[in-house]
Amino acid sequence: MARVRDVMLDDVPTLGKEAKIGEAARLLAGRGTGCIIVAEGKKPVGIVTELDLIRNIVKGKSLKSPVSGIMTSSVVSMSPSMKLDEALKTIDIKKFRRYPVVDNGELVGLATKRDIVNAISDNVRFHRNIQNAVLVIFVLFEFFVFVLFRYLYKYLPLGS
Amino acid sequence: MMNVRNIMTKDVVTVAQASGLKEAAMLMASKSVSSLVVMEKNRPIAVVSETDIIKGISSSKPRVKDVMSREFMIISPLTRFSEIISSLREKKIKRFPVVENEKLVGLITETDVIEATRDFTRFHQIVQEVILAIFGLATAFFLFYFSPIGASMFG
Repeated sequence: MARVRDVMLDDVPTLGKEAKIGEAARLLAGRGTGCIIVAEGKKPVGIVTELDLIRNIVKGKSLKSPVSGIMTSSVVSMSPSMKLDEALKTIDIKKFRRYPVVDNGELVGLATKRDIVNAISDNVRFHRNIQNAVLVIFVLFEFFVFVLFRYLYKYLPLGS
Repeated sequence: MMNVRNIMTKDVVTVAQASGLKEAAMLMASKSVSSLVVMEKNRPIAVVSETDIIKGISSSKPRVKDVMSREFMIISPLTRFSEIISSLREKKIKRFPVVENEKLVGLITETDVIEATRDFTRFHQIVQEVILAIFGLATAFFLFYFSPIGASMFG
């Protein structure tokens, strides 16, 4: 089974706590990741999504105020060695779409619900094909046994 | 099976291409949607995403017209799900307005597709296990039925 490190985005757009909302907007516009991670050194402390930014700009927040004022600071993170099944469980419970991936307190990537669900779905599809092949072999085997018994029954030394 | 009608968002938020960017941003924030459909003469002509709005704000464009994107695909309620998935993955189209009888009845976004895929995956795993169990039992029965012990039992 694949792990979070196989599906995560390595190059995460990051900003410091003191960065301005305007910078965040430029970064979001340029990258298309849908969110940026606010970090203190290498440690993620918050996340700003596009909708957060739009909400705050609409409310009249200046583009010059710091991002720490609009970020969501209780971030749920994942570890790179987490299995995708466990990651999906976390997603089902927490209901977020984006998770910073943290290894030894350092930000190493960004895992999204999209990538995890797609990876699992591909995996299931792959397994389904294998299972179908196995089923076909089973059926052929059954048929073989059936025919074999029909024609060889009388030559087999089994009872009368 | 997966049906466009079951996974689409029915309350589509629409906007005119002449409206201001601020107005569009306000609509998006108040309705908590990730995309708006730009309508003209009752037809969807473009879509606006969160990224488009932010791009517009950071380069101070005044109107929806300046930021909207044409990267969308009109589908009908009868469109096959696999078609949507392949457009999403290969052509990177992320928004699918659903039009029926020349009327906009819904919108499918990437999020809806992911939700559906997630549910479908779960469903498929269960179905696959049930099929395997049935085949396993059938095989066991076949082997038994045609084996000498089975033959003596069933005659």
